[in-house]
Amino acid sequence: MPERLAVGIDIGGTKIAAGVVDEDGRILARRRRLTPSTDAELVLTAIAELTEELRDEHPVKAVGIGAAGFIDESQSTVMFSPHLAWRNEPLRDRVARRTRLPVLVDNDANTSAWAEWRFGAAQNVPDVVTVTLGTGIGGAIVIDGQPYRGAHGMAGEFGHQQVVPGGILCECGNRGCWEQYASGRVLSRRAAAEVAAGTPAGGRLVELARLDHPTVGTADVLVDGTHVTRLAAAGDATAVEWIAEVGHWLGIGLANLSASIDPGLFVIGGGVSDADEMLLAPARAAHADQLVGRGFRSEARIVRAHLGPDAGLVGAADMARIRARRRRPANPAGRARVAARTGRSPRRRR
Amino acid sequence: MTGLEVGVDVGGTKIAAGIIDETGAIVRSARRPTPDSSEIPAAIAELVREIAAGQAVAAVGIGAAGFISADRQTVLTAPNIDWNDAPLGHDVSALLDVPVVVENDANAAAWAEHRFGAGRGAHQMLAVTVGTGVGGGLVVNGHLVRGAHGIAAEVGHIRFERGGLLCGCGLYGCLEQYASGTALERRAEGRLLGPDGSPVSGPEITRLANAEDPAACELLAEFGRDLGEGIATLVAVLDPEVIVIGGGVAEAGDHLLDPVREGLAAFLTGGTERPGPSVVAAELGNQAGLVGAADLAVDPDRDA
Repeated sequence: MPERLAVGIDIGGTKIAAGVVDEDGRILARRRRLTPSTDAELVLTAIAELTEELRDEHPVKAVGIGAAGFIDESQSTVMFSPHLAWRNEPLRDRVARRTRLPVLVDNDANTSAWAEWRFGAAQNVPDVVTVTLGTGIGGAIVIDGQPYRGAHGMAGEFGHQQVVPGGILCECGNRGCWEQYASGRVLSRRAAAEVAAGTPAGGRLVELARLDHPTVGTADVLVDGTHVTRLAAAGDATAVEWIAEVGHWLGIGLANLSASIDPGLFVIGGGVSDADEMLLAPARAAHADQLVGRGFRSEARIVRAHLGPDAGLVGAADMARIRARRRRPANPAGRARVAARTGRSPRRRR
Repeated sequence: MTGLEVGVDVGGTKIAAGIIDETGAIVRSARRPTPDSSEIPAAIAELVREIAAGQAVAAVGIGAAGFISADRQTVLTAPNIDWNDAPLGHDVSALLDVPVVVENDANAAAWAEHRFGAGRGAHQMLAVTVGTGVGGGLVVNGHLVRGAHGIAAEVGHIRFERGGLLCGCGLYGCLEQYASGTALERRAEGRLLGPDGSPVSGPEITRLANAEDPAACELLAEFGRDLGEGIATLVAVLDPEVIVIGGGVAEAGDHLLDPVREGLAAFLTGGTERPGPSVVAAELGNQAGLVGAADLAVDPDRDA
């Protein structure tokens, strides 16, 4: 039997990343597209097309999808996705119908956490909380070596814990959600404001953006949070300060999570974590400062994720691969029974 | 398992000990005032001997307000008793020559509700105990979740307000400064008066609300909505099936629970697009800590 391969697909608010992943978490082939975020049907088509392209190159056995949003407990339906057009979308079955492969759908933060747990920063740690700082904040919980999903599959929506009552209005409708203070959009918002106000730091951001897009005349519209991180990495004191402020809020939310869950390790991933110690050092300080019982207790370590932006798709593929193997009955009679149950013919091959 | 299952609840003012049967009912109990912290192990041992009345004791479970070490023997620090790294479990075990475990009182109460009370059958249960402070306990698939350091589910110390009221724990703006029994009494100042014009106690507020006193009901409604708002953050994080509200204030029943549900619904992310937990009243009253501690002690691996 050759190595078992699966397609992993990570659907974000701005882009869809897909890849073929092997049993050791290595990516053998990859594809990427912009997310047609306003049209649910186009997203489905993109998923199906990406899968077809990849399976032309590799014999994949399953498809794992990580999507930003609330996924139901049977891991089949996207109930609500704040950044996409899905409402009660039966994604698993629709993709399975189009691709004729077993499909697993999970929250993108859960798939990322799974990847870090299997192949990255959280290997062999029993109680882990992962926090993914992207446009918003996702997260996942591992308790005593088991993924914790909650009663409705919605645990780990850390971005929507309230850190400031009556604070900044969040897309979810509430005010003061953590992701309004400690996510990538905070840096993007800051960048846009500085550019609009024509501040010196704003000017430096525009210069950086022009390097990325030399042919575009109005480079200022393309400035985003990643430019803040790069400016800070180049030693710009103002940008370092902005990132430290995000780090501070990160630590405050982590202290809440320590009070609720008390993990031994926090793994911080997502694009904003590229800022590394510029972000994590202030986060550790704020976490320690806001930690209940500090001085009388041991504290969780706070480290950067190891797998970078690929974690979501690697984890989704790995979960789907394991699930598909577990589901596949060991003997032909079993296969027939499964076929009878699902109403589909067994082993239909392309 | 042979021998009596004994639970002990150590509070700031009194120590209660009781023998429970297999249904979680208290068969026999006794209490005494809490002595100086150095005298507590001896006081517990005497209470246990008194209620055991010569019968063999299988194990003793002690519930105490405070942070307990992950091995369930040492009180790291406690809000109402002068304990720092106090080896309470070992000390009591040495005096009685039986296995002893120490558990956070809110964890013990949560365990009791899971085994014998309002949380039976739930796969994920978050218990919130509203007393002098606000405690919490999380039971997942039959396991009490203690966390990596033994300090999980400290519901009272999630931050409710930035730069808010100073908490006994040293931080500012902790939920228990807004949603504990103590906070309720503080909120009542100047708004509710006792028959002789004196400030009203928490139990008195509950009694007034249950007698449909409009001012007391309004006070509880405000208080309950804030508690619900705090719980919404925990639901975003933990997504439990059931939330069990216990402690003295919970005796106000739906006068408290309806506003909690309201606050939770208003501040839960995903709003009506997602299912949420049911919010129910605890069933075991103020003995829950004792009952849960006793049950956790009989077989330290029962929940592991």
